[in-house]
Amino acid sequence: MTMSKEIYKEFEDVVGPANISDDPAILDSYITPMCQSQHHMGPVYNVFTPQGLAVLMPGRTEEVQAIVKLCNKHRIKFKASSTFWTSRGNISDDYAITLDMRRMDHILEINEKNQYAVIEPFVTGGTLQAEAMKVGLNTTIIGAGSSCSPLASACANGGPSPFAYYGGLTRENLLSFEWVMPNGEILKSGSLGSELGWFCDEGPGPGLRGVMMAGMGSMGAMGVFTKCAIKLFPWPGPDTLANDGIIPAYKATLPPNLQAHTVAWPSWEAYAEGVYRIWDSGISGYYAHRQYTMFGRDLKGAMIRILTDPNKTIDDLEELLKDPEVQRQNEEMKRDFQLVLAGMTMRDIEWQEKVLDKILAETGGYKASMMEEPDVKNWSLLFLLRLGHKNLNFVYAGGYEGCFGVGGVPDYSCPRIETAAAFKKKWEQEHDYFAQAGGDCMMGGMGGIGGGGFTTWENFTHFDSHSAESVKGTYDFFEATSKYGMEKGLGAMERMYVISRRDDGYARSQEEQAERISRMSQPHVYEYQWKIREILDPNLLGDAYYVTLQPKK
Amino acid sequence: MGDMKAELAAIVGEDNVLDDAETLDGYSSDRSFARAVTPRLVVRVAGVDEVQKIIVWANQTGTPLVPISSGPPHCHGDTVPGVDGAVIVDLGGMKKILQMNRRNRIALIEPGVTYSELLPALAKKGMRLSNPLLPRANKSVLTSLLEREPRLNCRLQWSSLDPLRCLEIVFGDGNKLWTGDAGMGELDLQKQWAGQHWQLQPVGPGQTDFYRFLAAAQGSMGIATWASVRCEVMPQIHKLNFVLAKKLDDLLDFTYRILRFRYADELFIMNGTDLACAIGEDARQIKSLREQLPPWMVLVGIAGREELPAERVEFQEKDISEIAQEFGLELVPEVPGVDGKYVLDVILNPSREPYWKYIYKGDCQDIFFVSTLDRAPGFFKTISSVAETLGYPTSDIGVYLQPRHQGVNCHCEFSLPYDPENTGEVSRIQALYTQASEALADAGAFYTRPYGIWSDMSFKKDPQSTALLKQIKNIFDPSGIMNPGKLCFDLQVTKEG
Amino acid sequence: MALEDYRPDMERCSQCSYCKWIPQDKIKSWRFAKGCPSIAYSNFNAYSARGRFAVARSLLMGRSDYTDQVLDVIYKDLSCGLCDVSDKVCRYNLEPLGNVLELKARAVTDGQLLPQHMPIIDNLKKEDTMMLGMVKADRGNWARGLDVKNLTEEKAEVAYFAGCRFSFDEELRDIPRAAVTLLKNAGVDIGIMGADESCCGGRAYQMGYRGEFVKFAENNIEAWKTAGVKTVITSCSDGYFAFKRLYPELGSTVEVLHTVEYIHRLIKEGKLKLTKPVNMTVTYHDPCHLGRQGEPYVPWQGKEKKILNQVVVHEPRKPRYNGAWGIYDPPRDVLKSIPGLKLVEMERIREYAWCCGSGGGCIDAYPEFSAWTASERIEEAMTTGAEAIVTACPWCERNFTDAVNADGNKLKIYDVIQLVQQAI
Repeated sequence: MTMSKEIYKEFEDVVGPANISDDPAILDSYITPMCQSQHHMGPVYNVFTPQGLAVLMPGRTEEVQAIVKLCNKHRIKFKASSTFWTSRGNISDDYAITLDMRRMDHILEINEKNQYAVIEPFVTGGTLQAEAMKVGLNTTIIGAGSSCSPLASACANGGPSPFAYYGGLTRENLLSFEWVMPNGEILKSGSLGSELGWFCDEGPGPGLRGVMMAGMGSMGAMGVFTKCAIKLFPWPGPDTLANDGIIPAYKATLPPNLQAHTVAWPSWEAYAEGVYRIWDSGISGYYAHRQYTMFGRDLKGAMIRILTDPNKTIDDLEELLKDPEVQRQNEEMKRDFQLVLAGMTMRDIEWQEKVLDKILAETGGYKASMMEEPDVKNWSLLFLLRLGHKNLNFVYAGGYEGCFGVGGVPDYSCPRIETAAAFKKKWEQEHDYFAQAGGDCMMGGMGGIGGGGFTTWENFTHFDSHSAESVKGTYDFFEATSKYGMEKGLGAMERMYVISRRDDGYARSQEEQAERISRMSQPHVYEYQWKIREILDPNLLGDAYYVTLQPKK
Repeated sequence: MGDMKAELAAIVGEDNVLDDAETLDGYSSDRSFARAVTPRLVVRVAGVDEVQKIIVWANQTGTPLVPISSGPPHCHGDTVPGVDGAVIVDLGGMKKILQMNRRNRIALIEPGVTYSELLPALAKKGMRLSNPLLPRANKSVLTSLLEREPRLNCRLQWSSLDPLRCLEIVFGDGNKLWTGDAGMGELDLQKQWAGQHWQLQPVGPGQTDFYRFLAAAQGSMGIATWASVRCEVMPQIHKLNFVLAKKLDDLLDFTYRILRFRYADELFIMNGTDLACAIGEDARQIKSLREQLPPWMVLVGIAGREELPAERVEFQEKDISEIAQEFGLELVPEVPGVDGKYVLDVILNPSREPYWKYIYKGDCQDIFFVSTLDRAPGFFKTISSVAETLGYPTSDIGVYLQPRHQGVNCHCEFSLPYDPENTGEVSRIQALYTQASEALADAGAFYTRPYGIWSDMSFKKDPQSTALLKQIKNIFDPSGIMNPGKLCFDLQVTKEG
Repeated sequence: MALEDYRPDMERCSQCSYCKWIPQDKIKSWRFAKGCPSIAYSNFNAYSARGRFAVARSLLMGRSDYTDQVLDVIYKDLSCGLCDVSDKVCRYNLEPLGNVLELKARAVTDGQLLPQHMPIIDNLKKEDTMMLGMVKADRGNWARGLDVKNLTEEKAEVAYFAGCRFSFDEELRDIPRAAVTLLKNAGVDIGIMGADESCCGGRAYQMGYRGEFVKFAENNIEAWKTAGVKTVITSCSDGYFAFKRLYPELGSTVEVLHTVEYIHRLIKEGKLKLTKPVNMTVTYHDPCHLGRQGEPYVPWQGKEKKILNQVVVHEPRKPRYNGAWGIYDPPRDVLKSIPGLKLVEMERIREYAWCCGSGGGCIDAYPEFSAWTASERIEEAMTTGAEAIVTACPWCERNFTDAVNADGNKLKIYDVIQLVQQAI
């Protein structure tokens, strides 16, 4: 499908000829192959999200608004994305355009005193963190890592974060924002709407931000967020994330008030106890996440050895797995998570370390020995603080997706982890669709929300996105896990977005959505969303990622 | 009328429908300058089913409803009907604490539960809830949270609505909704708890943060019939220290540093006048305290909980003391004539009777808004200037500055005590309230909770938000029955269909 | 490898966009976080390594064709290798640099030649040099008056290879002259080819002209053999890369050193003493082909296999080129040996250095892009407070010099050798 020359010219007049293209190859650089992952649906081999009509790169809010108004005029669907990592950021119709927000990449302000930053859509977690650190501040980076956009995760495409416990989720840290709504009007929220600055997310009166985010957000289906302010949090370290070492084994060279530990317990019961105690204790838990188990319970020790030694490659994995010391250390880390403590002063960090040691001693926990080796510890500290190695999710064969998503308070999730692990392990052993990694590849937050309270663990499933068999087998596995997960209360995150997009890459119809919604406990939630959409997107230019149900008469 | 009473009695029982003059009079006005409007009836509700039936009935009959959960005296005008013919829905009798779970630090409360009831109950479970500054003893905890009253401990406010989590809501269209975690699975609290599902996560369901629509809504969107709240661990050691200064400006950098460190628990600034009112038992004592107390103070509460509590308090005191010295200040355990222990006891509890702000002169008007802490001295100058112009003694102005949302912004509150029996003072305070509110708005005050005259001031500044808010209101309260005339909403009520 | 051989990579690309940035751990500021000049300049996703995986796949699947825009994507690539480094912080089974080079080679094979490249390649064919307008007969002029062996007449163990840029760029001529003199004075049995020297072919390789590259490579390998050369020293990083990494696959067995490596060795052995102070604050720019692409060549013939169901490994163990073992410290140590010289670092250095902008055929085909890339680097150098930027490649030096002149900037440009010469 192509756009008429006249309409193309209208868009070109807005952004300039260098910032629009309808070349199929250019458009193909924006699509997502459905054999890839992070969709929470599929994977499906040899299917791609739609090319659409054109890609545009606006440079200012005024351009975004002009584009959206043209879309309304010509009834062309649109979706904006910052990093295009996951099909949630892709259009799902042919008669649609893609907005690449890359040119809007400025950090407009870092208000050091009041601890917030004002950013545009293509500012990444990494660059924001780097600038914030210069003034003793830090930003929440979502679990998908520092190449992602904090604005996106705060406004439209939510992500949990290993920093959530201390630093808050990006949506909790969202202050005022500027939003080009799908109807082409601009909303400035909170204090910004009254032209008083960015400092307050709500008001006057009820929080209008209620229409746009909740947990996962509208995923680009409700207009374009062009600026937002994000609450930052303290960084008691030097003005850069100092590190050295030989690639890929970069390691932090940070002062002793910043400490990374891997804490572990001999049983899930003790683990839960330990987690609750840590949450109650008041220690910083600057970063709290079960990170490295993404490599698989059986493989993580060996993978850490590879990653911390510039002379090693993945070809050394088999050999390392046979090493009895690696096996022993791996076993130690079976029920673990990563915890970074940040002390504002040495007194602070000393107290926190004492408290942690006390909790571990009293709950039968311990610090994993491999992770206390200085080089490994400093590698881990850097990894966790910048979260710039998240392509490791795909390290084995290029594809990964998390299944289940065992979530809830530790008293809920911990007893279920072995059930989730066993189900996957059986498939690992009986089939060869995805990596045999020990069943438990569960990575996820130890906090869930600012101040802690719950965990969410996605069970990494590492498949080969180049292999049709691997992709198909993984798809079949996810069919099985979603049923089993619902049965056993393990979650079903692998199928979260089948409500929005079909296996052929296109949007679900209203009828298809309605059938799924009818099985939910409060379908009228989506009737309300229908009504909200009627106001904000009367011409239905967003896609089915904003889920709605036609209200009953 | 008879029909109306009978119809409502059929829902809540005859004893719970009140129309005697004295009762109606009690709801027709409050301590604000809102125009008095007598409601038609008062209904006392006992549960969500009754609430839902009343709302459905109100839609059918085109009857405005004004939900109230706290006991009197009210003071913001939001509980006074905006139109004639309103029915007060009094949720004050819904006093169940549905759940207190120490393990997951969560409590579920009905709207009638007050701070005086909740805090001791939580204490028995080893928990506490960060409270606002000296709430009325009969203040509804749920309303306080929904109205975004600032908490003394902003360190724990990751979200601007913390510690509020999930809600059971009946919207103005009669639909019931459970928000957040509570709304994800089977809508049965007992089953949820039995299955270790705790109502901790507030967002959604779906892609909408429904609970935010009720925040600062003055009852104009719907009625919340329970809320889950995230509690803290009860401190084993809890101390209050002070940092004193002659000028407000001198305290700001210190306060910002403490916020940056995320140290301390309770952290806020008061002037001597306000603290005197908070701790003084009568007007004479308040006056005397004002003479003794320093002009400005940061109140720094430090708690040690279950893990090495004494050590936590000790190291934080040392660190904070050093920070104070860095700014030429001193951390002290008492202010002249008053020790920290006493003040801590006062601020961690609801106000005694009469309400603390009324002790000095009999009545008080508050002007409060949100801005950033660094602008506070400018605001104080603004209000002082207006006060001087009108002959109001600036020494009477109480100032309370409460950092919010982990320090990104600040609740600025100016208390203006006056003698309600003195017509001259009354008329002066009316003028001061209006003129100071306008001057502060011009100076950058953000009335996030736009009661009374602040409503027009705020919404005029933000026409885009106003337009959208009205459209949202139309979704959740299509007949406009929920507290009409409040915020930017119309007075007009329609009948369903 | 053919473009089709990169199909697995195209499908295993996870679209993380790390290829656009320096390694995330190394980001110190918003201003200097970007790593890929191509997408930083052109913005469309297609201009990144991830984008070129997608474009390649699109072409192979017949979903698109060679258009002017596609050729722009293919050729507006410096082949600097930063994407490779950033991706390989995490991935062991992706070769983004290989793909972008293969994409160019495929375009050339398919006859999709860039008009801007044609004169360069014609000149190469006719005059054995990439330098447009230059003739072979003048190639040896840089060495006029130098008392050094002529390898067409005499044998020597060490060949000094000047390279096209040093041979013909008169403003840079003193650098190879200084290099040869320094090496000779250090007792190295050194010779040059003079006018008979031919292009290393490396830049032709980067532009996609594999056939031309092979011709020149084979010619050079033969010439060295005939002259009895055991070691090739060059001051040109492009040549260094070609000899060290590309030539061995064609049978070359000579040792390859860059001048800075040799000088470093001489200083360590006490054979070269730098005693005259050079009072200046400088910053060092890592040339792509000396740094991240200057790693030792490790021969490998093997295949991909899977273990543990779906973990992609290689048999035998495959070497990993991720910039780890490039030449970073020798030039820095040399500079630090110079009395009075203060070395300050830019933010993007070593394996994650920002490119100078002259590689991949871009200095010829896309002068604005090339100049922009250089000026970005100059701006980065200026932020260090340095008075000069020092490097070890004539292509970097030329591009920086042109950028500084265009901006009216006062930053000085030096080769390491020039500063060493000043310190002797």
